[in-house]
Amino acid sequence: MKVFLNTLKWIILIFFLFVALYPLIWLLLASFKANNLELQQNPFGFPEKWMFINYYNAMVKAKLPSLFIHSIIVAFSAVFLNLLVASMTSFVISREDFKGKNVLLTVIAAGILLPIISFMVPYFTIIQKMRLYDSLLALIIVYSAINIPISVFLLTSFMGSIPVELEEAATIDGAGFVQRFTKVIIPLSQTGLATAGTFCFIYSWNEFIMALLLTSSESSRTLQLGIRFFTSQFVTDYTAMYAAIVITIIPSIVVYFIFHNKIISGLTAGAVKG
Amino acid sequence: MRKITFLVLSLTLIVAGTVFANGQQEKDKEIVLKWPSIWVGEDSKAGVVAQLVEQFNADNAGMIKVEVEAQPDYDGYEQKIRTSIAAGIVPDIFTMKLNPTTKAYYDSPLLMDFSKELSTGWGKDFNEGTVAQATVNGMVKSLPYEVAITPVWYNMDLFKKAGVSKYPRTYAEFLDAAAKLKAAGFIPTSQMTGGSNAWTSMLWYSHFLASFGGPDVYANPFGTDAYVKAAEVLLAMYSDGNTSMDAIGGDAGVSGGHYLAGESAMFINGPWYIGRVKTEAPAVYSATEVGPAPAAGSQKGAMIGFLQTNFAAAANADDPEKAAAAVKFIKWMTKAENVAKISAASGAMFAVKYDSSSISDELMGKFINASNDASFTIPHLEGVVTSDVITEFGQALGKMALGEATPKEFVEMLKKVQDQ
Repeated sequence: MKVFLNTLKWIILIFFLFVALYPLIWLLLASFKANNLELQQNPFGFPEKWMFINYYNAMVKAKLPSLFIHSIIVAFSAVFLNLLVASMTSFVISREDFKGKNVLLTVIAAGILLPIISFMVPYFTIIQKMRLYDSLLALIIVYSAINIPISVFLLTSFMGSIPVELEEAATIDGAGFVQRFTKVIIPLSQTGLATAGTFCFIYSWNEFIMALLLTSSESSRTLQLGIRFFTSQFVTDYTAMYAAIVITIIPSIVVYFIFHNKIISGLTAGAVKG
Repeated sequence: MRKITFLVLSLTLIVAGTVFANGQQEKDKEIVLKWPSIWVGEDSKAGVVAQLVEQFNADNAGMIKVEVEAQPDYDGYEQKIRTSIAAGIVPDIFTMKLNPTTKAYYDSPLLMDFSKELSTGWGKDFNEGTVAQATVNGMVKSLPYEVAITPVWYNMDLFKKAGVSKYPRTYAEFLDAAAKLKAAGFIPTSQMTGGSNAWTSMLWYSHFLASFGGPDVYANPFGTDAYVKAAEVLLAMYSDGNTSMDAIGGDAGVSGGHYLAGESAMFINGPWYIGRVKTEAPAVYSATEVGPAPAAGSQKGAMIGFLQTNFAAAANADDPEKAAAAVKFIKWMTKAENVAKISAASGAMFAVKYDSSSISDELMGKFINASNDASFTIPHLEGVVTSDVITEFGQALGKMALGEATPKEFVEMLKKVQDQ
């Protein structure tokens, strides 16, 4: 019976590993195929000839290097701004006693449930009024704002799990409100910050619709818009587009690999008491 | 270390804010017109359109400059235009498909009405009836530009290999030909339920509607007999191996791909697809003929034709110079010789009168003949119903093809959305 259950466990795990990895492997193989016709005739096999030129086309035609820099600026700045605001908000909600703080947390966290499409018109209007249309700053502000609910939710939970005694000791040593935040809570919240930051980074890196809406020129476009360079109204060069996609997902994977331990512990922080 | 990190990140933010917040900068005097354009990147019109914009900018240096904002993703582009107009901001120049959904744009005072400009003689540059099609309540807030017909493309090589000597003109002939094609290992028709509008199948359905309902089919209430009969024929296209297995859920890449690969014998699309067939599948290009769909009803030789893309512009009521500059640019784009250049390069057809003798493409000539030979022309279904009906079309078609809905139920599903 034990052997059977063990075998079953491995079958299930291998099945889900296959389901998770197969699309990535398929994407990688498709990015090396000659053209759409080969993709159509041989969708699941290895390329007849490995077309590295697809990657060259992706880099040159879609101008990926400059878009790459824009995406890096946007993603890192959005993470920084998001964590700055979310950590201060979370500190107050998790560590201070005041009336209605649970209501406040619920209202902020409810933002997680709202579909992005519902923000499109208001954000477009706000950015136009701020005269930030077609700028990287517009994307930085919007991405950091969209991620505030999830970041506050995670950080509040994380900061709530830090023992009060540490803050009390700091207070006895003369630490004020700001010092408690900067010298005690922030250093102890690095795992939570890494988790929230990673979520914000991946969102900012992969986001398409706001980037399309809020930018227009090449000087402010991000990678996700570059990928769409290979589509047109009636024709799509899938192989070059897949090559561009492979290039763009690498940073997300790298960020996840660097922070994955912190993400897991950050997500589970505050889940149990003790 | 933390202070340095903080400083570096702050600096990044400031740099991003100052250096890259350049979108709203304005140059002195020169009128800058922003044009979010879909004719960029891989689009067949991209090269010539870029040259025309460049030439216009050179001719008007220091006075008018058209800046093209590349929008290669068409669905995203439509979303952006919708959001912009909903937010009360209209691009200086843009293009749109005119359909019942986008006709709502005509209610916006933010869009320029071209009717006055057209009445000064410009209107004579357009083919008869096209401006009328773009007129709503006396206003022409989108100018007819690209037009299209979507005949059936058929691969005569496959027909011959299957022992079919001529293209089927009736439904009975179609069934006979389909049986022979299947026996020879070919897929009779390319279909698709996916994409935002189930494009290929929506066009097949439009052809059958024309055959059952005649030129005035759309004047009849939605869901009448012709709609159900056309759905029955469309279902037959999805049955008994008359299309590929991947048609359910497949997108334009799937339906077009089977035709390009020489696997399917019949397919529907517009002239913009000519360039791709020519370059990717020259053998298929040589074997391709075009014509009306096999007549399933009493009406024969019907064609689907429509305004494909219209030009539109911001009214700029508070800035008449900018409005005049937009008109000047659109007039430039509708000049006969410029339209001829775009047509020759891309195979696209236009609502503007132009000399098409420079078009040497053989298949394009077949398109023009098919248009001339049509007994009558109606728009496709997408052009006469709201976008939510077309979104439902693909869903309902998938359901019908899977045997979960009858043709009558398929039509009722569409009617329900239409009535809402």
